[in-house]
Amino acid sequence: MSFACLSCTMKNPFVQISNTLKQKREKLLAEMTAMEPLAFMQQHAGFLDAYFRESFENSNVGPTLALYKNPCAIIALGGYGRGEQCVHSDVDILFLFQDNVPPAAADLIQEIVYPLWDLGLEVGYATRTLKECVQMARQDPVILTPNLDARFICGVSILFTKLLDDLRKKILKKNSKKTIDWLVDQSRDRHRHFGDSAYLLEPNLKEGQGGLRDYHTILWIGRIKLGIRQPRDLEYFGYLSHEEYQSMRKALFFIWDVRNRLHLKTGRKSDQLYFEDQIDLAESMQYRQVNGQQAVESFLGDLHANMDIMKQQLLMFLSEQGHAGAYGKKNRRGPSNLAAGLELARDMLRFETPETILKSPALLVQIYAESARLDIPLGLDAKRLVSEFRHLIDTHVRSDKQVVKAFETILRKPAANVDALGEMLENGSLIQLVPDLKNIVNRIQYDEYHVYPVDKHSLRTVQAIRNFGTEQDETGCQLCGKIWKDLKYQKRLLWAALLHDIGKGVAETDHAETGAQIAQGVMIDLGYSQTDAETVSFLVAHHLLLMKTATRRDIHDEETAIGCARIVKKVSHLQMLFLLSVADAVSTGQNAWNEWTLALLRDLFLKVMNILKRGELASRHAVQTIEKKQALILAAATDPVDREQLALVFNALSPRYVLNLPVKEILEDIALYRRLGDQPFVWQVNKNEAADTRTVRICAQDRPGLFSKIAGTFTLNSLDILDAQIFTWRNNTAVDVFTLRPPLDKIFEDERWARAERSLVAALTDQLKLSEQLQKKINAIGTIKPKVSKRPHKVMVDNHSSSFFTIIEVYTYDFPGLLFAITDALYRLELDIWVAKISTKIDQVVDVFYVRDIHGQKVDSDGQVSEIEAAVYERLPKII
Amino acid sequence: MKKIEAIVKPFKLDDIKEALNEIGIQGMTISEVKGYGRQKGHKEIYRGAEYVVDFIPKIKIELVVDDAVAGQVVEKIRDAANTGKIGDGKIFILPVEEAIRVRTGETGADAV
Repeated sequence: MSFACLSCTMKNPFVQISNTLKQKREKLLAEMTAMEPLAFMQQHAGFLDAYFRESFENSNVGPTLALYKNPCAIIALGGYGRGEQCVHSDVDILFLFQDNVPPAAADLIQEIVYPLWDLGLEVGYATRTLKECVQMARQDPVILTPNLDARFICGVSILFTKLLDDLRKKILKKNSKKTIDWLVDQSRDRHRHFGDSAYLLEPNLKEGQGGLRDYHTILWIGRIKLGIRQPRDLEYFGYLSHEEYQSMRKALFFIWDVRNRLHLKTGRKSDQLYFEDQIDLAESMQYRQVNGQQAVESFLGDLHANMDIMKQQLLMFLSEQGHAGAYGKKNRRGPSNLAAGLELARDMLRFETPETILKSPALLVQIYAESARLDIPLGLDAKRLVSEFRHLIDTHVRSDKQVVKAFETILRKPAANVDALGEMLENGSLIQLVPDLKNIVNRIQYDEYHVYPVDKHSLRTVQAIRNFGTEQDETGCQLCGKIWKDLKYQKRLLWAALLHDIGKGVAETDHAETGAQIAQGVMIDLGYSQTDAETVSFLVAHHLLLMKTATRRDIHDEETAIGCARIVKKVSHLQMLFLLSVADAVSTGQNAWNEWTLALLRDLFLKVMNILKRGELASRHAVQTIEKKQALILAAATDPVDREQLALVFNALSPRYVLNLPVKEILEDIALYRRLGDQPFVWQVNKNEAADTRTVRICAQDRPGLFSKIAGTFTLNSLDILDAQIFTWRNNTAVDVFTLRPPLDKIFEDERWARAERSLVAALTDQLKLSEQLQKKINAIGTIKPKVSKRPHKVMVDNHSSSFFTIIEVYTYDFPGLLFAITDALYRLELDIWVAKISTKIDQVVDVFYVRDIHGQKVDSDGQVSEIEAAVYERLPKII
Repeated sequence: MKKIEAIVKPFKLDDIKEALNEIGIQGMTISEVKGYGRQKGHKEIYRGAEYVVDFIPKIKIELVVDDAVAGQVVEKIRDAANTGKIGDGKIFILPVEEAIRVRTGETGADAV
């Protein structure tokens, strides 16, 4: 029979009863935000109880059930049974029959349950006999647990008592271990699946770590194993201290409040706190913007803090009940040289007596060091004591070398079961040790990029570093493992990881800069050396450098790598910055780290490393030299306008150019450059009286083949090249400095130079067929005699020393037209010469060319390399 | 409607976004991709180990616009992304048959 039929053929008190519930409920919901959450939920449950009782009393089907023969009862289960009925939670009830379920039961349910559906409530009901109940509960813990919270509503109460009895005798007494193990496993899986709910962007209030399920788990285990009837018993029977019970209750109230408000807002049973809802909830709970922190950030901070407390309660409870092993391998090792004042009991660390702490407060830190070292957790008592006595960690303790050393162990040791650093953060002892951390505790950064609050993030960064090269490494970076393993002074990096975001507690500043200063202070206070403090401070100041550079600059440009190298200055610093960058990114959340980002960062790292290792472009000395030269050059300005222009030109100079030439010469070249205009080139010839050589400085717009044409022209004009330095500025200006032997005809030298200048103009404007002319000249000299020499020519193509250029080195002996021959060969291979250095010692010539192909890339395929070698060798005279 | 796909150097993303905002473009999709063209990969050596980068990290930008502005959009992207050096990337223009806005069901130009 359908309900519609019933309602029109039978009495209509049901409509009235359900209307009463509806009104009472609506009134209650309107007052909800002003009520204490538990009071609200209990009243809510109470209204439902009243509904069931009245419905049952007024039931038409009820009297037909022959209750004397087949008693039945309506029983509340789960959250409803506990009297914790949230706004839109399911209403879980059990229609319990003694011997069998009569067919009329279906009608009873229609009468009682359907109106609730019409009201929009989700009702989950089961219709079972006593036997069925016990059977199913025994087989499936998912059925058992709601029954643990069973509460009698109406009907035959003896049936309810029998149910509890049967459950206790037939299941709990026999299978308690199995059930509890199942509950512990569930917890662990749940925690793993929902991530660390306290930290995820959108926490799950029920299933996440520190969610309501943690509380339910404590209650259920309590009921099964310890005979607890109501939550208060946890304190009464001594399983939780008064303080712990109060703190758990406070946390619960907060989470319930948030959950109820969330249900109310969304109009359904939602337990995941999504972004859209967070801001509204924060406002409705009266959070306001304070000290640069948004209302929603404070709200989330509090939520995380409370869920943390809940999570800690569960873990402590499990550990105390002997289930620490379920969250990791049980530790069978005995204590090996345990620090004095500590002892091991039941696989957990404790203080010998509380008095030892008063005598030696350093123990408060040492116990965690031992815990990390041996991978053994602290017992509940020990944790309570640390929390109670943490104020004893004062300036005196902080500067105790033993304490600092102990803390280094805590930083360094990766432990499978124990998170010593995390625990110290939880109980506040870490803040005592490093007071500046106070500002970043539970400070949330509200955006989709930062998943973890700043303090937790810092700890995760430390952990990421410890994990490099191990199985737990989540970064996917094998290079990191290598670097970490070989790193000297690992502790500096660990400290930098812990402190790198410490500046975030100070509003309106660059947190890297601020943090660096704070970090320096922290290290000094703890008695570290000046070098240690400065290194850590440096790392904090620049912890964003590599990532910012890799994502915002062209890493294929040598200048980028040089710029970075000059800031970092030392190979060891670069290594540590790289590791810190990777660890920081991977601990920020999934969005900040992936293979793509790793590739970018690693490429930059390797390029900067190359620059640093060569040393010449980015050493401390190099940086100082450049700064000095810049100052001197700008000082040569005649007026402010000139100075501005000089500054612009200086920025166009390339790094090798500035490093290799003296200021006097740089100023000469700048003067030349200013005269260049549209001309093919300008040059300046100086006499060096002492050495009887000539220096020719040429400034021209760089183009392919420029160098070879100049070299060829000099040879054509019988001007012997002794040395040359070739540079290319950033604005594509070529600056070539040649040292030549003076022309044979010294009397008419000026004429010779004028003629050479004209030839060069002709060569550069393609009016002169240089190769042809040169060949004629060389033929006129006669064939180059083959030389008897023990030293063969050498042509080496080096693609390792620089990330940006292919370096070609040619060792040969001097002969007319040598430089033209080599540079022409390179020109014909379509190679661009960016930098070159030519030197002649007596008749030995060493030529070094930094080249790139026409696309601006290195020439490093095997085919190309042999092609270069062959082409150059071909131009060198034969040796016998 | 045209779909514009641009593959560009990562550090140019902000410049391109700004340039497009200037002409009123309000939406785009970004992905982190890898690839190579004439800018081939390279290798670095560190402590005797070779680290080969054969696929170079790039950013792919995708957007669908009205035919009328497609040309302008391509210009803007190209100007902002250009460095003159190898590896600057490529821009492709594809025809779009239809576009639908999920929230409202609007189609065609209203959806873009």
